[in-house]
Amino acid sequence: MKPASGLDATLAALADPNRRRVVDLLRGGARPAGDIARAVGVPPPAMSRALRALKDAGLVVEHHPPHDSRLRIYELRTGPIGELRDWLAETETMWSEQLVAFREHLAKEP
Amino acid sequence: MPSRILVAMRVPASPDRAFAAFTGEIGAWWRGNRLFGFTPREPGVLSFEPGAGGRLIETRAGGKVFEIGKVKVWEPPERLVFGWRQASFAPDVATEVEIRFEPFGAETRVTVEHRGWDAVPADNVALHGFPLVVFLQRHAEWWRVLLDSLKTSMPPSS
Repeated sequence: MKPASGLDATLAALADPNRRRVVDLLRGGARPAGDIARAVGVPPPAMSRALRALKDAGLVVEHHPPHDSRLRIYELRTGPIGELRDWLAETETMWSEQLVAFREHLAKEP
Repeated sequence: MPSRILVAMRVPASPDRAFAAFTGEIGAWWRGNRLFGFTPREPGVLSFEPGAGGRLIETRAGGKVFEIGKVKVWEPPERLVFGWRQASFAPDVATEVEIRFEPFGAETRVTVEHRGWDAVPADNVALHGFPLVVFLQRHAEWWRVLLDSLKTSMPPSS
């Protein structure tokens, strides 16, 4: 298993429902901060906290378009999600192997 | 939104026996796996301290004990819930495992549900079909949909 510091950050960032909604929304592509706040339906201060947490966890990146330095556009980074996917896949495989071992253990009995 | 891994299997034993063996004999049947170790060291022997409030622990050859999680529900022969932490997890990251034992003819269906970053209780888990061997039930839930949608746009991470 890989070092899980990144995975930790991903899991912690996704522990909040608003942040999950943001990630969900950004699956459809990059969006300006204002759009995200409207779509998720939370007040701007709460939304900036959520976006900052996602940025700190490395789940999203922030861009400034060249023509407007005040406009902030957020986009999903796929690396951390890939790590989470790996962990989930490993965990799933691990449990199916353990259940096979458990069944064999029980089958050994007379 | 609930996020979970669900794996189920039928085992040749009554629920009573299956529960007793799952908890009391885990040291004998659990396969230590370096790839999926609780700590970076050589895997040790797992054991349950029986009853709610007890612990699932790993004891290494030198006698050192790592607590994998506390037992939250201990309801033989039906249900067992315990916390699940790997040494690499941050202190505030906890996952939870629920094991259910249901009679299936003369045998028992054992279902493992591993809940990830949130601890939302499972709603009704419908298992459709039941092959004789292991089956993996993959729910098209939030993360799965998310991950699938990302697979198409990025190479698999190594």
